[in-house]
Amino acid sequence: MSKKVSKPGSISRRRLLASAGAAIAASPLGANLLQAHAAPIKIGMSMPQTGGLAGGGKASLLGIEIWRDDVNAKGGLLGGRKVELVVYDDKSSASETPAIYSKLIDIDKVDLLFAPYATVPTAPIMPMVKQRGLLLIGNFSFQVNSKVGHDMWFNNAPWGPADSWATSYLDIGQKAGGKSMALLSADQEFAQNLAKTAREVATKRNLPIVFDQAYPPNTVEFSSIIRALKATKPDIVYVASYPPDSTGVLRAVNEIGIGDSVKVFGGGMVGLQFGAVMENMGSLLNGVVNYNTWLPEKSMYFEGTKEFFDKYTKRAVEAKIDPLGYYLAPFGYASGQLTEQAISAVGSLDQKALAKHLRENTHKTIVGPIAFSADGERKETAVLQAQFRGIVDKNIEQFRSAGKQVILFPDNLKSGELVAPFEAART
Amino acid sequence: MKRNDIAFWIGAVVFLAAVLVMTQVVANQYPFFAGYVILQSIALAVAWSILGGYAGYVNFGTSAFYGVGVYASVFMVSAFGAPLPLQILTGAAVGALMGLALGLLTLRMQGIFFSIATIALTIVIETTITNWRYVGGAAGIQIQRPAVTSPFDSYVQMLFFVQAVLVVLAVAISRYIQNSWIGRGLQALRDDELAAECSGVPTLRLKLLACVISGALMCAIGAPAAMYLQYADPGSAFNLNYSVTTLAMSLIGGTAHWAGPIIGAILLGTTQQVLTVTISSEVNLLVLGLMLVLFVVGAPEGIVGLINKLRGHRKEGEI
Repeated sequence: MSKKVSKPGSISRRRLLASAGAAIAASPLGANLLQAHAAPIKIGMSMPQTGGLAGGGKASLLGIEIWRDDVNAKGGLLGGRKVELVVYDDKSSASETPAIYSKLIDIDKVDLLFAPYATVPTAPIMPMVKQRGLLLIGNFSFQVNSKVGHDMWFNNAPWGPADSWATSYLDIGQKAGGKSMALLSADQEFAQNLAKTAREVATKRNLPIVFDQAYPPNTVEFSSIIRALKATKPDIVYVASYPPDSTGVLRAVNEIGIGDSVKVFGGGMVGLQFGAVMENMGSLLNGVVNYNTWLPEKSMYFEGTKEFFDKYTKRAVEAKIDPLGYYLAPFGYASGQLTEQAISAVGSLDQKALAKHLRENTHKTIVGPIAFSADGERKETAVLQAQFRGIVDKNIEQFRSAGKQVILFPDNLKSGELVAPFEAART
Repeated sequence: MKRNDIAFWIGAVVFLAAVLVMTQVVANQYPFFAGYVILQSIALAVAWSILGGYAGYVNFGTSAFYGVGVYASVFMVSAFGAPLPLQILTGAAVGALMGLALGLLTLRMQGIFFSIATIALTIVIETTITNWRYVGGAAGIQIQRPAVTSPFDSYVQMLFFVQAVLVVLAVAISRYIQNSWIGRGLQALRDDELAAECSGVPTLRLKLLACVISGALMCAIGAPAAMYLQYADPGSAFNLNYSVTTLAMSLIGGTAHWAGPIIGAILLGTTQQVLTVTISSEVNLLVLGLMLVLFVVGAPEGIVGLINKLRGHRKEGEI
């Protein structure tokens, strides 16, 4: 018995040696294929985890991580390859990202690239990915591809055409009888981009701009600015501000008032989408019409949306980040879904083929269907304009229920009508 | 002394030759991206220590000079499509003028008051650029690189070499100043400005000179960054981080000798690059903070000071 066993054993050992030799002699392609089958699909990105953009960056990353866990729980992609994320902190700075993305491409040899959250860290890597012909899934940057013209860029943000933001807000204002506009903007990248398009749209529509002021980013006291704005008696007030100033502006409006002439107030106030700021501002938010990306209104639930937020809410508590996470996290998940669908459809990681698929199809995601135009931005805007209603002080849970932020735009997601003028809507 | 000079210049030529060979041999791009940032740190720290180290005038305005260098390039590219050498020369010229203006306005202040004035300078210039729409204003500006010049294969390799040349230039100037009457005068006024003035050292003139040279170098070092990033925005270009890390590098290395900032910048710059791609979270800020505290407590005169001290002890022991 033992002899019998030992004989075949020795043969098999010989065979093993022979086959090992054959494998070494065989082309490296075979070995690579074997390796590739087992190797995970690496997705590389930098993400602001320190610095000014860290709050958003962490929430966005959690969204992507939830997608990774979901897709891996389903067995991975391309017949069992797990998804692995390679993430570095870019410290919210433009100067860090070129080296990080070079490391991701040249050293880590990742299979796919995601962009960091926001415009500033993304801008320096655009020429690099264009030059190397790499696919890049954008993450909430604004018009970063307009000058570069990379045909393998796809932004997950709902922005759409550059002027659609101002167009939708001014539509609401003009429908409410607005005949003049006041523009108040922070001297920062995003706010200035918004202000620029608002000016252009207003000029096109012959809407007089009665007040146009930019203020330095660190301004905390807005009463003099609001007084000056009020004195011009505008109908539409378009504010493009950043989190600390958004609260400052609203406090000043609360103290001084804005006048009965104002039909709508808000538009581009960053910060009023974040749980902590919303809880802090409480009833001061009432009446403000502001942009948003996702809200818990009935029209916003698509396949998988509810399940996503169930998971997010649990994990956000552990990770100590925005407990609501409406603004960025579901779009991080959607980035993953875009990639997942493209890879499944193409059946490989060929960047050109993936880009072609992304460009030519409409993709189902938890934030609704996404289709891209030639510049890699959304074909149609899905930026919401919503009005805060019936908000009470110091209660973050209220923002989880429908009806607290009524969607006025776009029409297919609308969940209510505007209450105007602004002073009437505040109470 | 002369033998030292020869050794220094041979070292510089070998360094530049090694960098050039590296750009021709290494195909992987990452070492150039990361190396560029480290070389930039070295050059900035050396330039900073001309005023901050030799003269003891702690300048928090590194980011102002650096940012002006970046925007000088942006302006030259937007307006005239200027090539890289012209961008750097413009940066140096603007930096020299800015250094002169800063010196005239603030050098009558001493100690902490001078430092505060330099922080104010950063804020004033950043606000100005933020409101200057031609160079992108607050929204930032994307710029296109021209085609790369041979013998380099990629623009980043070329920038890496250019930054290495700037490092050699900065070190050569710093070394010359240290060993000349300018350096001796600056050291005298650092120890006691009044005594130096009484002994006939032209303190204001020397300080102005240091300001001009340091400013010109820092702006010249910032100039290629516009092409490195192909993007400029005031928040990144005038980031206070440049001021803080440059200061930290000089302090860790030691400010009394020209080699101090080089050692400090290599150590801290490399650590920062490594931490960015390893720990890569809030923890790397903690590591940097701890390093600073350790050096300030353990080696108040920097690594160069520590080495000198150890050497001194050994000599005493030997005797």
